[in-house]
Amino acid sequence: MDDTVFEKRAKEELVMRNVRKVRRIRSKIYSWVCICCAPLILLSISSTLKAEDIVRFGASLSLTGRMATEGRLVKDGYDFYVKHINQKGGIPIKGKPYKVEIVYYDDESDPKTAARLVEKLIVEDHIQYLLGPYSSSATFPASSVAEKYRVPMVEAHGSATTIFERGYQYVFATLNTVDQYTGGILNMAAGLKDPPKTIALINENALFPQLAMDGGEQHAKKLGINVVYKEKYPSGTKDLSSMLAVVREKNPDILLAGGYTADMILLVKQAKEMGVKPKMFGLMLGPTLPGFVNSLGKDAEYLLEPIQWSANMAWKDDVFGWTASDFARIFEKDFGYAPDYHPPQSAAALLVYHHALQKVGLADPQTVRNAIADTDIMTFYGPIKFNEKGMNIGKSMAVIQLQNGKPVVVYPENSAQGKLVYPIPYPH
Amino acid sequence: MTLFWQVLINGILSGGLYACAAIGFSVIWGVMNLINLAHGSMIILGAYITYMTTSTFGIDPFLTLPVSGCALFILGFLIQKYLINHVIGGSIFMTLILTFGLDLLLINAYLLIFSADLCAITPWYAGLGWEWGNVKIPYTRVGAFVFAIGLTLLLSLFMNRTKLGNAIRATSFDKDAASLAGVDVFKVYAITFGIGAGMAGMAGTLMSVIYSFSPVTGEIFTMKAFVIVVLGGLGSMPGAIVGGIILGLAENFASVLLSPGYKDAVSFFLLVIILVLRPRGILGKRFYAEVRD
Repeated sequence: MDDTVFEKRAKEELVMRNVRKVRRIRSKIYSWVCICCAPLILLSISSTLKAEDIVRFGASLSLTGRMATEGRLVKDGYDFYVKHINQKGGIPIKGKPYKVEIVYYDDESDPKTAARLVEKLIVEDHIQYLLGPYSSSATFPASSVAEKYRVPMVEAHGSATTIFERGYQYVFATLNTVDQYTGGILNMAAGLKDPPKTIALINENALFPQLAMDGGEQHAKKLGINVVYKEKYPSGTKDLSSMLAVVREKNPDILLAGGYTADMILLVKQAKEMGVKPKMFGLMLGPTLPGFVNSLGKDAEYLLEPIQWSANMAWKDDVFGWTASDFARIFEKDFGYAPDYHPPQSAAALLVYHHALQKVGLADPQTVRNAIADTDIMTFYGPIKFNEKGMNIGKSMAVIQLQNGKPVVVYPENSAQGKLVYPIPYPH
Repeated sequence: MTLFWQVLINGILSGGLYACAAIGFSVIWGVMNLINLAHGSMIILGAYITYMTTSTFGIDPFLTLPVSGCALFILGFLIQKYLINHVIGGSIFMTLILTFGLDLLLINAYLLIFSADLCAITPWYAGLGWEWGNVKIPYTRVGAFVFAIGLTLLLSLFMNRTKLGNAIRATSFDKDAASLAGVDVFKVYAITFGIGAGMAGMAGTLMSVIYSFSPVTGEIFTMKAFVIVVLGGLGSMPGAIVGGIILGLAENFASVLLSPGYKDAVSFFLLVIILVLRPRGILGKRFYAEVRD
């Protein structure tokens, strides 16, 4: 009996001692934190005082994780605008130039994190003008947060139609939505002399690829092309060979695939290994991204991709006075690589704000939102004009084909740089 | 029928590579009771070493196996000697945290050095292969399979037939007894981690020939290694081969018979079944899997 009582007391004593110790350490930590933070707080106060003539935008981007390749292109596009507008002195609003600054956070290619970071941008950083994240999957939840706080978000990389079909008032997109992705390729196919009759559709189980291929299925049926195979594979897959073996058995004339770059490189490699030989081979994403052709070499030949933009398009903006090809040239000088459509599409989102802010000044988010809704401008990325859902109805998509390792615009005919190679010759 | 043979061959070929990717993980776990969360990142480092050597010197990717193996062995040896050995006596959470931190460190270092761009190695014979009726057997996959199985068997021989291998196994059974018998336990640990990392590096080389990779692809391999090790049995070399091939077959048949969307579901379902029916793994011996403090 005595022993247990003694033990109990000893235990209590031990616990109390620990609690006291923790308290002591905690109060020490608090005082240190206070000492360390004081200069920081002073600094931030002084910087907000100075920040009067700065316009701040905020964006959560996939800077690491599986969409880091694309996320970096988006950031470079945003930064391109920031660099050049600041070189000109800033955005002239009501006679006074305002420098531009973007607050970035890395969402690690995770949609949930993107939504959380957008909330942080609004609540903690007091950002009143939002830019979009990368990918439809991230834009979908992120735009809900923007809508909740009634802060406008001009996004450049969420092409899923579902983003715009929720009756939201505060989300706008510079790009063509996903339902228009497969249209170019399939219309082009239907217009050929010996049109393809069957099609197989493969996609990653993610928002954008799924909607793109669903759109492709509908469009193909409308054009009388027979859908012989349609399947999705899980994100992060490293082996598609057995799926492609099934595709080979179905022997489709057209093979369309939707997914992000990593999977598309894998898909092209394994399609060749498995002996899949479609007459027409299109990917929703990849061929124009840096590194794609290098990784695949001659296996990338003749692949098709619907594109939002290419450097030879006859568009010119009135802020910088640059055409699409000027943009490509200057961008390459700044960042060391030739841009695909991602950077101009991102920079165009800032041009939308540029015009809206010039019109109404640094007004509250609601007023700026209304100015954005009235946008009707021409940029190096193409015309931008929003419908009531926030989708850009000003421009349409083109199609490129990789020929000798270079993307060549083959559709529509009025801006084509070369002729489509059809059917694909094997072996090449 | 063609499709059946094609899928069977695909499954076995990718299974061999899975085995090689998992074996280093299995050895480290089995010997030191250390779960190396940075294993996938080490595989990716091997892939990058192959990428750099092939693109600089223009040699065949399979010839870079010794380069990536040695480089990763040295790295692994140093990591164990100067980092992990300091916490290995403590709780398992310390080693988990340490290897997780190492994983983050490696990934971000790759992002800085190699950028986030995807890499793939395309040797001249990529896409070519034997044709047997309508069944295609690509050279690259056969090459990767042969080397993967070869390396795994070599490691198995090393563990069973050499003095050092016996010392490693002895340490895994009972580190105090081994230490009494004159084994320098911490040195053995460093060598074991080096071997595990070296195997990861060589698996990376083989992987780079078949798949595309970027700094963040590693985590998939860590996950697969987990499944394979539990399927085959902890610390067992033949178990890794069996586990790898079972996983490869399950994934490939699931993607054809059900839908490609279900392949991960099927492989993890398999994992659950094995855990319920035979927790020590198909070829696992009880002793390896016992948790020691």
